[in-house]
Amino acid sequence: MAMNAVARDTVFALRRQIAKIEGTLPERLEAPARGAPGAIPGKVQSGAAGPGMAPDITIVRRGLAVASADAFLHTGIERLDAALGGGLPKAALSEIHGLETRDAGAVAGFALSLVSLILKEKRGLPILWVGTAEIFHEAGLPYARGLHALFGIEPEQLLFSEAPKLLDALWIAEEAARMTAFAAVILEIRGSPQRLDLTATRRLHARAQNAGRPVLLLRQAGAADPTAAPLRLIVSAAPAASRETVAGPLAGSIGRPAFTVDIGKSRTALPGQFTLEWNPNEHAFAERTEVPVAVVPASGRGADPAPASGAVLAFPALAAPAAGDQPPRQQHPAHRSPRRAG
Amino acid sequence: MISHRDSNTQRIAALDERAEALKLKRGMGIADARAMHPSIDVVEADAEADRRLLEGLADWCDRYTPLVAIDAEDGLFLDITGCAHLFGGERAMQDEILTRFFQQGFDVRAGLASTPGAAWAAARFHGDRIIAGGEEEALLAPLPLSALRIAPETRASLESVGLRTAGAVMAAPRAPLARRFGATLLLRLDQALGRLDEAVSPRLPVAPLSVERHLAEPVMLTDDIERLVSRLAVALKTDLERRGEGARTLALLLFRVDGAVSRIAVGTSRPMREPRLIQKLFHERLTALEQNIDAGFGFDLVRLSVLSVAAFDMAQGDLTGETEDDDADIALFADRVRARLGEAAVLKPVVVESHLPERAVKSVPFAEAPQRRAPATDRTAPPRTAPPMTIYPPERPVRLFRSPEPIEVPATEIPEGPPMNFRWRRALYRVARAEGPERIAAEWWRQPPGEEEAPTHDYYRIEDSEGRRYWLYRQGLYSTAPQAAPPRWFMHGVFA
Repeated sequence: MAMNAVARDTVFALRRQIAKIEGTLPERLEAPARGAPGAIPGKVQSGAAGPGMAPDITIVRRGLAVASADAFLHTGIERLDAALGGGLPKAALSEIHGLETRDAGAVAGFALSLVSLILKEKRGLPILWVGTAEIFHEAGLPYARGLHALFGIEPEQLLFSEAPKLLDALWIAEEAARMTAFAAVILEIRGSPQRLDLTATRRLHARAQNAGRPVLLLRQAGAADPTAAPLRLIVSAAPAASRETVAGPLAGSIGRPAFTVDIGKSRTALPGQFTLEWNPNEHAFAERTEVPVAVVPASGRGADPAPASGAVLAFPALAAPAAGDQPPRQQHPAHRSPRRAG
Repeated sequence: MISHRDSNTQRIAALDERAEALKLKRGMGIADARAMHPSIDVVEADAEADRRLLEGLADWCDRYTPLVAIDAEDGLFLDITGCAHLFGGERAMQDEILTRFFQQGFDVRAGLASTPGAAWAAARFHGDRIIAGGEEEALLAPLPLSALRIAPETRASLESVGLRTAGAVMAAPRAPLARRFGATLLLRLDQALGRLDEAVSPRLPVAPLSVERHLAEPVMLTDDIERLVSRLAVALKTDLERRGEGARTLALLLFRVDGAVSRIAVGTSRPMREPRLIQKLFHERLTALEQNIDAGFGFDLVRLSVLSVAAFDMAQGDLTGETEDDDADIALFADRVRARLGEAAVLKPVVVESHLPERAVKSVPFAEAPQRRAPATDRTAPPRTAPPMTIYPPERPVRLFRSPEPIEVPATEIPEGPPMNFRWRRALYRVARAEGPERIAAEWWRQPPGEEEAPTHDYYRIEDSEGRRYWLYRQGLYSTAPQAAPPRWFMHGVFA
């Protein structure tokens, strides 16, 4: 009995050591089902549920270091923040994926809107954008005039670094990630190069953690390779809403930038899809629940689902049809990307 | 034996001792030489290679004095003013130079005098002689006219009037000489005699400060070189402090045992004197150059020079001895990246007053960019980059292609309207919505007069059926002229 207790102590001590070395690895456990559909992600904001959804989810952090609320960058979208377990980690490497190179505009736009949110706190600090020559050739150079108009990033705050090779880009990013003089470091890479492996990303992540500054890894047209980044978001463009005028929406016009954001990988989040709209005047996100054009393909359960029993309520378009109609987790629709390990 | 082509004949340009022993002479025709000795080995002269070799030798001579100049095709001037005592006096220095050249396999003659002209003549007509100050006249007097460094035509005409030695020219009255043979003759004479100063123009700018270390045992490892750099930088720091300056450009010269010289330069974006930082910069530079530096049998002289300096502003550190200076951190970071990856590795966008989107932002290297000003505290003045106050300021994309990419537009709804679909990079895009056009004309005030006016660009914001937003433009207008080509379309950027 005594031996057992000693052994258990040793195991705990070792675990704590590992947690110290590896950093906090928060994990999400779902609370015991209360019979409510609210715990299914992506459906959290089903209109009637409201903000009382958070207690459904318990975030367990092992180890000693407990991340404070300050460690997260709040996107301003309650549903996304809740799904990410507080927001985007500030002192970490975060991956932002674009599935195709032509999504580079949306990916860059989303990353820059995050940077813009960061700059609200770190006013005046410069940001560094590191890219390989290939990506700048394929997807274009970030354009300072556009960035200033949309995200409020002054041209003087911007620094670009174009590296001829991936190794050089990684070196620059690593050197920059350890500095506290930058508000954020953006590393942009195309495809799935072999050099960008677990080791390289772990180094980036460790430096970002030490410096307490975010490193955003933009990967265009890349596969979901295993990396050390705790969070991976998959971003694509969403059709913009029309411009708002005094006389109502202006038909045929292209309004504010909109993104579709998928949580591809996260230790704390469950997969979900969000359509965000960037407000260039207030430098804030807004979530769009009503999309003018269907971005999500029609449900696999048939074009005309049977009406639910009970009173018909006016729910938003994306809301769950009815409480009892939820499929079990295993039969979740295929278009919600599954949680990836690694 | 080396041949060169002179007025349509191959002639001997240079020859070695063995060829001289065969009674061949310089200037002899190759055909004659071959007729005398069919087995001779003839190599075509390569002026370019000779020049490179001479420059290499000049680099090597840098170890004796920073003032090394190349003289014509086969000579070097070394201004050893103030350097001789470092090598044990003039005689010892000349002996050392000659010995080391001899060991490298060169046949060198040296002359040392207090004027470049006298030294030139001594090297060519006496060989290994040191002329004390004031002896120039005695040296030059018996020498032929070619010792005066004058053009062959002048020499020929001087000889035709019976002036055959330099002494005869010196004895002749000056005014008629100047009138008849030009001012150059007297200038050369005065320069050789020390009556006029002659500056030896060094081939490389002379560093304001440099420190060096001679090594008894040559070093080969990059680590050792870096360690030496930091030691030299410590010595440099005191000098810089005394002058109240910091280094903007630093050069590291590595003299290899066998004569090759590697020159490694780094630039800093702000004046620097801290040895640790200087060592860091050279660390990056050496890492980048590792493949290109051939240590061979090692370097026996390492020199660190400051090529350009700027005033150094002292900053008051806090009590922990550290200054919180983000800008300095960034400058150092940029310098390190620059040392490793080249001048354009860190770019800073600079806003230019122009309505042309491709001209409106210019990327300049970090070191040349204006210093970032502190974040403005008062927001009374509108920022310079703010668009003019219109209801809808023109939208600009987040990414702009370096050069607009041509796209195919099969059809537009109305001739001057947005496209209905387009093909870009071999993929077809269907246009869902379009905004525009925004017509941007070329800057006529930049056009050279008389040139045809550049076509206007009609920009459209396009959203495709999947929600991606692009910035396209049509170059020119549709024309009703029968032979007019349809206007071309380009993709210029993407929106967020």
